[in-house]
Amino acid sequence: MAAVSPERFDFSEEELLESGGYDAPLLANQVRCHGGFDARGEYRSPRTVHRAPAIAAWQARLAAEGHELIRLDPALMPPQYPSVAQAKLLLAEGVSDPIVRALTIISIVEGFGAIIRDVPVPDLRASFREPVGGTALAHLGRGLFEAHARDEAGHRDEGGHKQLWEAARDLALENPRVPGDVLMRIMGRRAQRQRRRLLPELDADLERMLATMATVLAVEIFAARTFDWGERLLSDPEVSARPEEAGAMVRYIRSDETPHVEYLRTALSEVAARTLRTVDGRILPGRVAVDRLMHANLRALTSERPRENRADVREGLADAIARAGRGDDLLERLDALETPWTPPARTGFEPRDGDPAAPAHHGDPAALA
Amino acid sequence: MTRVSAFERARRAARITRTALVIWALYKLPDFARRVLRRPPPTDRTRTHERAAREVLATALSLRGVVIKVCQVIATRADVFPPPFIEILKQCHDAVPPHDFAIVREVVERELGKPLDAVYAEFEERPLASASLAQVHRARLHDGRAVAVKVQYPEIEALVPSDLGNIRRACRVYEFFDPQPLELLPLLDELVKHLALELDFVREADNADRVRALFAGDTHVVVPVIHREWSTRRVITMELMDGLKVTDREALARAGIDRAELVQSLMSIYVRMILAQGFFQADPHPGNLFVRPGGQVVLLDFGLAKELPEGFGLGLFELMFSMMTLNEAAMIRAFQELGFETKTGDPQTFVEIARRMMRRSDTGRFEGEFTEQMTDELFEAIRENPVVRVPSDFVLVGRVFSLLSGIAHTLGHRANVLEAMGASTGSA
Repeated sequence: MAAVSPERFDFSEEELLESGGYDAPLLANQVRCHGGFDARGEYRSPRTVHRAPAIAAWQARLAAEGHELIRLDPALMPPQYPSVAQAKLLLAEGVSDPIVRALTIISIVEGFGAIIRDVPVPDLRASFREPVGGTALAHLGRGLFEAHARDEAGHRDEGGHKQLWEAARDLALENPRVPGDVLMRIMGRRAQRQRRRLLPELDADLERMLATMATVLAVEIFAARTFDWGERLLSDPEVSARPEEAGAMVRYIRSDETPHVEYLRTALSEVAARTLRTVDGRILPGRVAVDRLMHANLRALTSERPRENRADVREGLADAIARAGRGDDLLERLDALETPWTPPARTGFEPRDGDPAAPAHHGDPAALA
Repeated sequence: MTRVSAFERARRAARITRTALVIWALYKLPDFARRVLRRPPPTDRTRTHERAAREVLATALSLRGVVIKVCQVIATRADVFPPPFIEILKQCHDAVPPHDFAIVREVVERELGKPLDAVYAEFEERPLASASLAQVHRARLHDGRAVAVKVQYPEIEALVPSDLGNIRRACRVYEFFDPQPLELLPLLDELVKHLALELDFVREADNADRVRALFAGDTHVVVPVIHREWSTRRVITMELMDGLKVTDREALARAGIDRAELVQSLMSIYVRMILAQGFFQADPHPGNLFVRPGGQVVLLDFGLAKELPEGFGLGLFELMFSMMTLNEAAMIRAFQELGFETKTGDPQTFVEIARRMMRRSDTGRFEGEFTEQMTDELFEAIRENPVVRVPSDFVLVGRVFSLLSGIAHTLGHRANVLEAMGASTGSA
């Protein structure tokens, strides 16, 4: 395999989708999944032969031009509900439905990530005042979105994160029955959200692309907490039938997610470092657009979403506990294990329209990804 | 139950038998002649299919009732019958002449146990619509509320056993003599089950209430309220719903309704019923869907509603999702979990079918919308017989998505199943 030159910034779609060879494939509960193992038995993520060094090169270029990568304050990440301790209590008491449901929803929502390949990518040379050649932005529709989609939902004869999560669930909990209301839960809280335009001054396709990227980036970063929850829970021998294998599945997913976070923050940082052309012929600082999108997303993800998630889980808990023949005291014991969480007052992306020279981003740089 | 004379029964039996014989002759006599003349069998039977389908249609329009219902079912089973049957028998959805008002009055008065005037302040003699089993009249209750009254044809229940018995006999004879028969008897068994349910209007009222409950709190969907006190097994009195026809582009434009949003909204409603709730109104043809100002969708006619087995919605989602994401391994698993079986046991057959369907989509890919062309391709692949078992629930669901796709096509927009589920909001 040829080493990629650090000075190289342009890659073909085929290169960004190239996985290279593996010494052994990844079989997740007998399902062939993407990625595989090298001669030392180390897991190697799919489609990273060129993608990983390409992202590093774009990031280095951005830094050399004096621009920072956008970062999120880790304090913004809401805790998973139920927590690992609460989930363990439920499983120990034979109340598995809420956990199976949560794991299944994670797998489906991971799979939904594939929809990123359908996001229209407008002509970015016309969208920005500055050139976009040799950037992550220029490669979104030429391999980056497609690689992301394949990682999440699988492709051809290989499973992706969706199937890996299913395997982790089935290995740990021994092929549990999936509650019939899983899709209803997903639809109940997702489909009713109305899209509203945050950047009406931009072309609608461009806004849609940027909004999707901002949303996916925030969700990807916040998912670190979910993955941590999944890994800790499913690799715990007290509740998991196959702790090593199930935990490993989640670790592989986490490893695969790194390029997603990195290309999205790189591309959005490139947007922030540029100037957007509006539909009426004016300009909009890219930073203003990114801040507006990230702020709205982070507000939703730190306030409404955790409340909705918690309410959703709670809604099914009483039924699940009753079905398992457990008394009300289980709910009390569960609540006793809860640590209250309050979202930070600021997102770090508060809109500063009319102040294009203000410092771009806040947060702890060491904490990200 | 209204009695049907022995003469009428004999007339119907004779007509059904004659039709079966004509169809047999249409297919078998030319085959016999070719064998005698040592000519190869025909490669294209389209004209024969057309003639046979027209014969069936003529019989249905003559006998009405159950036979029309049978034709309507045939028109939905593109997995079994050749395309000319589907095209020609589709006419049965629209070509049902109404019964005289005197008959309607008699049924209503007998069922409600009161004179018509005692229940309704007004009752329009001309029906709003007439179908195979019943017709609908506009009326007004004494408290002023406008209602729609669905009245079952009095002879239907009496004709069901005899007509179906005649059709069953014809099917048996056909299956006995044909070396490679279409499997019609299971289809007929399914129809018998459906008919029993559709003839029970109390059940239809229950279905309406159940769908209304699914959308409780959702201001985008309206289901008419059933007036139970004036409803029985053969009569339903329900809230009269007004609205624009879902496919009337001009009227929608005048009302300022965004067609793209309407298409997505319709898909969202059906995805929610089918995939998420596992219970759905299974007949979304344009006559059963109204649109109100603001894009509110009115669902009508719950005679054909279906409860899916547990896990079916998730299985269907997995199939659609795996096709959308080109994940062939997941596709095979989903086909198998839904209950499909191949003749050879080779699971690759499923991938081939999926590829055929995708080739028929507008973009060459499955993007979360089953177009009519795609379901046609699926059913054609199934007719070619590499698949020996297709879950009947899948056929019904396929038809629903196909009807929705037809509406979307008329409105000039596309719907996306995953977006209808909220998938565009991002993932990890």
